[in-house]
Amino acid sequence: MPVNLPDPVREPPGRPHDVERHWNEMTRRKRLYSVLGLVLLVACVIASLRFANETNAGKFFERLPYFFDFFRDLVPRDGWEIARALFDLPSPYDNGSFEYNYPEGRHYVWSSFYIPEYMFKMIETLNIALFSTVIAALAALCLSFLAARNMMPNPWIRNGVRRFLEILRAFPEVVVAGFFLAILSLGPLPAIAAVSLHTVGALGKLFYEVIENADMKADEGLRATGARWIERVRFGVLPQILPNLMSYVLLRLEINVRASTIIGAVGGGGIGELLRLSISQNHEAKTLAIVFLLLVTIIGVDQLSASLRRRLADERAFHPA
Amino acid sequence: MTGQPTGFHAVRNGDLPMFQLKNVTCRFGHKRAVDGVSLEIPKGQMVGVIGRSGAGKSTLLRMLNRLAPVSAGEIRYGDRNIGTLAGSGLRDWQRDCAMIFQQFNLVPRLDVLTNVLLGRLNGRSALMNVLGLFSREERLEAISSLERLGIDRSALQPAGTLSGGQQQRVAIARALMQRPQVLLADEPIASLDPLNARIVMDALKDINRRDGITVIVNLHTLDTARQYCQRIIGMADGRVVFDGAAEHLDSLAVRTIYGTDEALDEGMTSTAITLSKPVAGPGPLPPASPVPEPIFLAGL
Repeated sequence: MPVNLPDPVREPPGRPHDVERHWNEMTRRKRLYSVLGLVLLVACVIASLRFANETNAGKFFERLPYFFDFFRDLVPRDGWEIARALFDLPSPYDNGSFEYNYPEGRHYVWSSFYIPEYMFKMIETLNIALFSTVIAALAALCLSFLAARNMMPNPWIRNGVRRFLEILRAFPEVVVAGFFLAILSLGPLPAIAAVSLHTVGALGKLFYEVIENADMKADEGLRATGARWIERVRFGVLPQILPNLMSYVLLRLEINVRASTIIGAVGGGGIGELLRLSISQNHEAKTLAIVFLLLVTIIGVDQLSASLRRRLADERAFHPA
Repeated sequence: MTGQPTGFHAVRNGDLPMFQLKNVTCRFGHKRAVDGVSLEIPKGQMVGVIGRSGAGKSTLLRMLNRLAPVSAGEIRYGDRNIGTLAGSGLRDWQRDCAMIFQQFNLVPRLDVLTNVLLGRLNGRSALMNVLGLFSREERLEAISSLERLGIDRSALQPAGTLSGGQQQRVAIARALMQRPQVLLADEPIASLDPLNARIVMDALKDINRRDGITVIVNLHTLDTARQYCQRIIGMADGRVVFDGAAEHLDSLAVRTIYGTDEALDEGMTSTAITLSKPVAGPGPLPPASPVPEPIFLAGL
């Protein structure tokens, strides 16, 4: 018997020993499962990579050099062409074709003041995103209270609303947009409809999860005063969760700016439509101008939304004493 | 405890409405949180409910306000059958039977004044409520009930920034805005320091004596129950095991309630502040001026 072990008499009889033994067993088992899981994962990845390469008949590396042809075709005749395309200035290469007709896209506001075509279309895309986000957030707010377990005890209504939200977010915006384009024809309206519907589904789910995590003490207090359901929503839950909801709405706005650009490319108006046209017609200066404008706008929107959300997070950190 | 009849089981003439509980039971799954409780509580009484954690005190109070369901038995208040109320009838009852909580249950982000005004939601149009539009009279009433509790200075702060004792007083002010006939208090001083506990209990006593509002309060400190309540109800395992005046609560009764074999040292549960001069009863609140301060009103 080793002498340097702690004196067992000093410990409560039996207990720590058992606990340590159990802990060791549990840890061993957890480690074993982790290693087995990792081995399985690596095997799956290798097998699927092999499968993919075989189905592609090994063309991946053959075709790879042509990938950069696209970028070679995008080089404009001179660097200033991008700026001219962006601000609708006359081009020295103007030969009457559509490639250099930048000034024709000008949107005159008054006398000689005009908004360049691409910026005008970018604003249209932003408008589509903003409008559909606001409309969808309001609809999602109404529906989310009907879908939250703590605010809607009736399981029929709750599950009905949840399924409805699932259906709304099940289809990607582009698919819904294609459907609405067939009904409403080209323009921003089908884009708004498609983005809004998907956003209602996506935000509705996030919203009702926030509501379900809300602290219900204030609501209980209001229930005890004999407040109606709508008053409990307004005073018991809403003040508490509003910063969280706003944060999700801003995040969704970022996503929707991209989504409405893409929908534009399939005929939903805005900058996306022009981008698709200029790429398909090999108008390199126009393409680069639009890509540049898109990058700046999206970075700008993301930064703005991030700073707003940070401010909301500070407010959310407000905790009652 | 002056000015109250000692024979509290007897119903005095004109004392209706009052509580009548017959075999009241509340089940959560298989567990009977409250098990066959029968009681009568006349109007204007101050009742303390004591018992161990999980004895059903909280559930009993929540059933009276219908935050907990009545599984079996009957609760009557006057001619109202509380257990079967629904819709606006239930909300009207909840207005008449105000409740305050251990964790205060205020809206922390809203200012104190709005929190107090929320006591008046019942009986107003839902649209006006949702828009947060309250009349000047209602604001004045809210301010004067804050004044009565000595916290009108904090009226424009967010309720969440107040100390626990102040928040509990805001909760009482909100309860007063309901113009209730009954005030239920579920462990109102369990999260408070001794001084604030005293202020809150004094306020409850004052409401009971001056306004004649029936007060039923859950307590976990025996000496507080003795000091403030004319009648004490002891609960164990969902049943009433003691019901009588504070002076009848002897060590045998205490042992029945708390299920201990040896006598309980009451000083152990006590958090009260012993003042140098003997406390004859709860001290009166600072006299509230009947008219709110004009300077304060100018800003509203």
